[in-house]
Amino acid sequence: MTPDFNAQDRDHDHQAVPSDPALRAKALESLLVEKGLVDPAALDVLVDTFENKVGPRNGARVVARAWIDTAYKQRLLEDGTAAMAELGFTGEQGEKLTVVENTPTVHNMIVCTLCSCYPWPLLGLPPTWYKSNAYRSRTVVDPRGVLRELGLAVADDIEVRVWDSTAESRYLVLPERPVGTESLTENELAELVTRDAMIGVARVRASGDPA
Amino acid sequence: MNGVHDMGGMQGLGDLHYEREEPMFHARWEGRVHALWHAVGAHGKWRGIRTKMELIPAADYLRMSYYERWLTALTERIVESGLATRDEIETGRAEPIAPRATPALSAAAAREAPLRPPRTELAVQIPARFLPGQPVRARNRHPTTHTRLPRYTRGRVGVVERDRGVFALPDTRVYFLDPKPQHVYLVRFTARELWGDEAPARDAVYVDLWEDYLELA
Repeated sequence: MTPDFNAQDRDHDHQAVPSDPALRAKALESLLVEKGLVDPAALDVLVDTFENKVGPRNGARVVARAWIDTAYKQRLLEDGTAAMAELGFTGEQGEKLTVVENTPTVHNMIVCTLCSCYPWPLLGLPPTWYKSNAYRSRTVVDPRGVLRELGLAVADDIEVRVWDSTAESRYLVLPERPVGTESLTENELAELVTRDAMIGVARVRASGDPA
Repeated sequence: MNGVHDMGGMQGLGDLHYEREEPMFHARWEGRVHALWHAVGAHGKWRGIRTKMELIPAADYLRMSYYERWLTALTERIVESGLATRDEIETGRAEPIAPRATPALSAAAAREAPLRPPRTELAVQIPARFLPGQPVRARNRHPTTHTRLPRYTRGRVGVVERDRGVFALPDTRVYFLDPKPQHVYLVRFTARELWGDEAPARDAVYVDLWEDYLELA
């Protein structure tokens, strides 16, 4: 009798493409709890932290402070980690923060080609598109194309700098302060700052500006 | 390793999937997997999850969602480190004879853990081989194990912008081998050096590279 290679293949496929990840995750969690390896209350706390405690509102506060306080901005560009800690932001994936400043002649954008590195304390966990195969692969070779696709045209005479977060450094883009915001308070300025602007795929717009 | 995870410069890998109002986790299980990684990782049995994600076969890696990769890598880590057997994971039941462990991360510690800055920079004095302003070439190496030397930089010449300080070398550290502390340098590569004459003349890519990855150009 000849061996049924197709059956083996099917079996192999079954191994390589396991069932619904939601079910697998649930089963794994119950097992680890049953074995005493994990405290489910600790998981609740961790999920709450990433859903509610860290996120782009933190980064927006850092940006707004840098816009209104030039001495703070200087410290932020020199040592991002120390400067964000001044505002109470510390933590995992923020231990070596480099802040890069957009100017009329330089546009910065962040990527992680090898994985998904991102400044968690200031931006939270990265959005799906940042972790997508397309963003990770194309951003270093065609940053202007990626920006155009995301709705941001960068003029030819502006230098585009891509920061690949493959090592220990994490990056935050300090966007340009929009014109017409001179009278806004720090809190009002922070309201304008978006996650995408701090990744470097959007500009900050003054309130009421058409997108 | 020259895995599909090292995708800088590839084309044709699909769409960006930009979403306007994106939740932090798209499904409950994604958050649980992220939290499990922290909580199980606190047992100190492994260093990072990336090396395992990189070993996911390329076709599966490309098909999987981000947190499916995490779940797959986490499961492999748990089996490999002996925290649970594959049998237990497949059946979802602990072996009756297995002694009950104590969670490495309490709920109280979990509150602080992600907000505590870990220290990755090493406080050791080692002479730096390269100086800011020097041209350096990324070595043309193709290890079959974990590395942070992206393929698209290999053999290319850049200029050292900044000395980042001293760090353990991930290539050995993740396997609990000699951490080989050494300087890490921020290197600027022009887009033209990386991608040829048709790339925009002003543009550049900045990458942090360990000293072992570089040679004088």
